[in-house]
Amino acid sequence: MSEKTPQRRPATFRLDDPGVIVMDPDATTRPARGTVQVTPESDPALLPVALDAPLLPARRGFRWGALFWSAASGLVLFGLGLGVVNLIEDLFARSQTVGYVALALAAAAALALVVVIAREAFGLARLATIEKLHLRAAEVLRSDDRAESRAVVDELLRLARQNPHLARARASLAGHADDIIDGADMIKLAERELMAPLDEQARRLVSTAAQRVSVVTAISPRALIDVLFVFVAALRLIRQLARLYGGRPGTLGMLSLLRHVIGHLAITGGMAATDSLVQQMLGHGIAAKLSHRLGEGVLNGLLTARLGLAAIDVTRPLPFTALPRPALADLARDLLRKRDGEE
Amino acid sequence: MAPGFSDIVEEARLSARALLDYGDGLFHPTVRLGVTGLSRAGKTVFITALVHGLTRGGRFPVFEPYATGRIAGVRLEPQPDDAVPRFDYENHVRALIEDRRWPNSTVDISELRLVIDYQRQNGADRTLTVDIVDYPGEWLLDLPLLHRSYEQWSAESLALSREGPRAKLAALWHAHLATLAAAAREDEQAARMAAKLFTDYLRACRDERFAMSLLPPGRFLMPGNLADTPALTFAPLDVAIDGSAPDGSLWAMMRRRYESYKAVVVRPFFRDHFARLDRQVVLVDALSAFNAGPEALHDLESALAGILDCFRIGRSTLFSNLFRPRIDRILFAATKADHLHHLSHDRLEAVLRRAVARAADRARYAGAAIDVVALSAVRATREAMVARGREKLPSITGTPAPGEVANGETFDGATEVATFPGDLPEDPEELFKGGFAGLSSAPSEKADFRFLRFRPPLLERHGDEAPALPHIRLDRALQFLIGDRLQ
Repeated sequence: MSEKTPQRRPATFRLDDPGVIVMDPDATTRPARGTVQVTPESDPALLPVALDAPLLPARRGFRWGALFWSAASGLVLFGLGLGVVNLIEDLFARSQTVGYVALALAAAAALALVVVIAREAFGLARLATIEKLHLRAAEVLRSDDRAESRAVVDELLRLARQNPHLARARASLAGHADDIIDGADMIKLAERELMAPLDEQARRLVSTAAQRVSVVTAISPRALIDVLFVFVAALRLIRQLARLYGGRPGTLGMLSLLRHVIGHLAITGGMAATDSLVQQMLGHGIAAKLSHRLGEGVLNGLLTARLGLAAIDVTRPLPFTALPRPALADLARDLLRKRDGEE
Repeated sequence: MAPGFSDIVEEARLSARALLDYGDGLFHPTVRLGVTGLSRAGKTVFITALVHGLTRGGRFPVFEPYATGRIAGVRLEPQPDDAVPRFDYENHVRALIEDRRWPNSTVDISELRLVIDYQRQNGADRTLTVDIVDYPGEWLLDLPLLHRSYEQWSAESLALSREGPRAKLAALWHAHLATLAAAAREDEQAARMAAKLFTDYLRACRDERFAMSLLPPGRFLMPGNLADTPALTFAPLDVAIDGSAPDGSLWAMMRRRYESYKAVVVRPFFRDHFARLDRQVVLVDALSAFNAGPEALHDLESALAGILDCFRIGRSTLFSNLFRPRIDRILFAATKADHLHHLSHDRLEAVLRRAVARAADRARYAGAAIDVVALSAVRATREAMVARGREKLPSITGTPAPGEVANGETFDGATEVATFPGDLPEDPEELFKGGFAGLSSAPSEKADFRFLRFRPPLLERHGDEAPALPHIRLDRALQFLIGDRLQ
């Protein structure tokens, strides 16, 4: 609706009036001048709503596993502490100087431990924030709640503040904050503004990693080296993606991320198998005809790419709605093109 | 007004009732859903559509437990109160779907109990009982009287009747009032005459051209079985707010009857149906106020504010659950959103948000959750873009109800029309400042808005099943109102 036009008067048209023509929405013909044309519109309420399944069902009930690990690590910490105290006492008994040195070392270690733990906790909290944001955004897309969409976008902006490349996108999104925009549309707007540059970069990261893996697999002399390299490359990729989308995972954060990525892969794997396994195997088959090693390399690269896509789903703070989800086919094309260039 | 003895007794009764309900609720989780709305706001249609959608399977993508399949089934059960008529759901559905007409205006209170069998997120099977009450919207106007004395009410009614378009309608009654002396001896005939003229005036205000909302006492308009009893035979007198009535005077008689009206009519109604609500949806028909003009809009605003002041709103605590149940979620719904193109829904919501701002702020301050939504429980229209010359009008198409008038033409209830009802302003404040012309002050071709009333939609039947009723955002309303109780 145009914003500046003066108020328009109400008007009513009988559909059986000869001066009124009911148009077919798909028709392109121009009707006669001087008539009033009525074009029925599709029902907005009946349009399909694309929705991501939630990443993982929210955990409920008491977490016995967490209790076990907390209690066990507490005990180990006590044991260590006791050992250190005993050691320092012994050293003091031998010589005052050595005792002080040991005490200083212990204090430094304790300080470092505290900092490391704090950093881990911070990283975990940040990952949890992103995950929660993802769920909240999915919820807003469904409920179209305006106030909640504003809250989600505010949090997104806070999250994106660290990324200097998003300065302009942030400013333009902040400019829309006071406009009347429905909740779901607001989320889509935020996705288009903030996520587009990141998605591009993420895609590049994934395809680089996949290429590297496929090359190394193709030329590596030992299977063990492949396995190690693929593992390291996958970890690196996940960490890079998490950083790109605003997470700061430490070691524990990486573990939990890895678990989510693998869980997500297990959920989406079945779906992906139906759509692209055939083409994948076909590609692999042709490559393998050319050379055994080359085929293995391509397959490993594709698997890495798939892992990367799952990692994008997990680390991205918004679900894919307005922007297309990067598909394996795009990445595979990159991968094969590169191989062709090298051969 | 200082709390009198009767107020304290009333409180005690309410608390005892709440305690009983709480005990019962431990074994059968129950939500009492208050469907609040002035007359013609669409309460009956809302309840019918809600029950129909849940029991027969509607399209509710936003109502999470339903969309994800956690609701196994919804059934109707005998209601808890044996003295209250049952909500005539089956006839209302038939009227909507087969006869394509809106249900008749509600004349008496009725009740319905829904039982929802569902599975919780963690897998446990549970049931939730939802009690819904329907009642004539006119009765709602009585609630603010609970906190007013006869003198206060008289002064307010008189002041109101001397404003704007009401003064013309009240002329006859004013003339009669001038002949009455408050301190004169009580006189049954004078009281009856005053009550009759006063009722006529209230009835005239309800006309579509004026669409006034603030018309207490409500039973004058919808007397039910109390017609012609002394409790309904009184009228405001021109008396001082802090004056006291001489014994045996007309004033004393009116005042006594006013008090008994409160005791016989208003208090039981409040006690039985409003003091125990958990969730509330406030249906507001803003469109007929737009049709009528700025006075009707202001009237609607003050009527809503007065009513919402009577409810007990706030975050539920254990203590409140035990002794003083509170409403912890309120949904303000602008009904009949299907009479507008969806591009204007945001503006309609903004108008409603502005109209209930005071009540909403108060509720939020007390800790209740608030939402405002433009909805249509039964969607009667489809959307279309009308091109007239170079102008494009976002319009709706549908069949106007028989007797509706537009462009000086009266519709027969069979012709389909496309209608553009007029642009709502971007800033709702413009409407409240009175910057538009309605039917109360202008001839119909000069009015800024014209919202026609449409007949219910023609639905295609598939087999024997009753077809699902189309709606706008009914699922979002459900999700807000009971979604959290179905987690």
